[in-house]
Amino acid sequence: MEMLYHQYKRRVFGMAHRIVGASDAEEVAQEVFVRVFRALVNFRGDSALSTWIYRLTVNASLSHLAKRGRRHEVSDDGLSELPAPPAVERDSGLAARIEAALGRLPAGYRAILVLHDVEGLSHEECAAILECRVGTCKSQLHKARARMRELLGDIREPMATPTKERA
Amino acid sequence: MSCDRVRRQLTSYLDGELEGSDGSVVRGHLRECAACREVAGEEAMLRDQLRQLPTLDPPPSLWAGVQAQLAAAEVADAKRPAWRRALARWAPVAPRFAAGTLVAAAAVGVLWWRSHRGSADEVPTAPSRDLAVVPAPAPAPAPSPPPPANDLAAGCAPGAASAAGGEITADLAGEAARVTASYCDAAEDLLVLAGEARLQWTDEQRAAFDTKVTELRGQIDRAIAGRPRQRAWRELITYLQRAVVRDDVALAGGGQ
Repeated sequence: MEMLYHQYKRRVFGMAHRIVGASDAEEVAQEVFVRVFRALVNFRGDSALSTWIYRLTVNASLSHLAKRGRRHEVSDDGLSELPAPPAVERDSGLAARIEAALGRLPAGYRAILVLHDVEGLSHEECAAILECRVGTCKSQLHKARARMRELLGDIREPMATPTKERA
Repeated sequence: MSCDRVRRQLTSYLDGELEGSDGSVVRGHLRECAACREVAGEEAMLRDQLRQLPTLDPPPSLWAGVQAQLAAAEVADAKRPAWRRALARWAPVAPRFAAGTLVAAAAVGVLWWRSHRGSADEVPTAPSRDLAVVPAPAPAPAPSPPPPANDLAAGCAPGAASAAGGEITADLAGEAARVTASYCDAAEDLLVLAGEARLQWTDEQRAAFDTKVTELRGQIDRAIAGRPRQRAWRELITYLQRAVVRDDVALAGGGQ
C-alpha cells in the first residue's frame, strides 16, 4: 500500500494542486488515496491502474471545486484568489504567471491542460481519464491553450504586474 | 488554407499529430503568415512552459493523513451492523445484480402470464348452450326444436386438454387446441342460427340437415386431435353456414 502511495503521490498531489489550488490540494489528495486504497479490491482492471487513479483524482478535484463553489473561471480580477504556485526559482516570473493563469481557467480546461501538458499524458490516456472521446479531448486542449494565451497576454513579455504574494 | 483553419489545427500540429500533407499544409501556411506564426510560437512556448512546470512534492503530512483516514474508516466499518457491511460489499455489483433480478422477474412474469393465458384459452368448459344430438324427426307437424349438440362439447375438449399443463413447452400444442376450441365455438353459434332457420324448413330438409350434422359430428369424434379434427370441424362449419343461408343443395343432404 505504501509503495503504491509513493509511486503516485507526486502526480496525484500535483494534479489536485493545479486543479483545486494549494489550500485544498492536500485534502483532495488524501481523499483520493483513501478512495484508492478502499476501492482497490474492487478495481476490475477495466483500465490501467494509473488511469483509474488519475480519474479518481480529476473527479475528486472537480467535485471539490463544485462543492466549494469556486468561480475562478469567471473572475478576471482574482489574482489574489489564485492557487498558490509552487516555489519556482528558475524563471519564476513566467512560471508564476502560467500557474496563475492556470488557476483562472475553467475547471474543465484546467484538467485537460494539467493532464496533457503538465503531466505529459497522451490524448488517449486523457480521454480515458476524462471519460470522453479523443477528439473531444483534442478540441478541449486547443480551446484551453487558446484561453491560456488570452489570459497570459504576450507570453514572451516580462511580467508586468507582480502577482500578489501567495500563501 | 485559411488562418482560422490553420489555427484550429495548430494544437495538433505542434504536438506532432498532423501527418503527411496535413502537416505540410500547416507548415507551408506558417512560413508565409506572420500572424499565425506568432500564434504558433506563443502556443509552443506555452506548451513548453507547462511541460516544464516543476513536479510538486506532497507534504509529509499527506501520508499520515491518509493512514489516519483509513484507520477511521476501518473503525467505522467495524461499528457498522453486519447487514450494512454486507450491503457495502454488494454495492459495487448491486446495479448488475439489480438488473439481473429485474430480467429474471420479467422472465418469470412472462412465463406465468403465458401459461395462464394458455390454460384460460384452452379451458374446455362445456358450452352453456345445450347442443345435444339432433333428435329424430318428430311425427308432429309442429317444427322440432333447435338441434341440440351435446357431442360438440365433447368434441371441443380433447385437443384442448392436452395443452392445459401450463408449461411453456406445451404452448405449441396448446395453440392447436385453441384453434380447435374456436372452431367449436363457431359451430355452436351456427347451430343456434340453424335452429332458428329450421322453423322455415320442410320436414325433408330438417331430416336431411339432422342426418348430415350427425354424420359430420361423427367425423369430428373419430378424427385424430390436431389438424384432422380441425378439418372435420371446418367441414361442419361450412355445412352449417350453407344451411343457415338456405342453400337447398346443402339441405338436400349433399352438403358438398
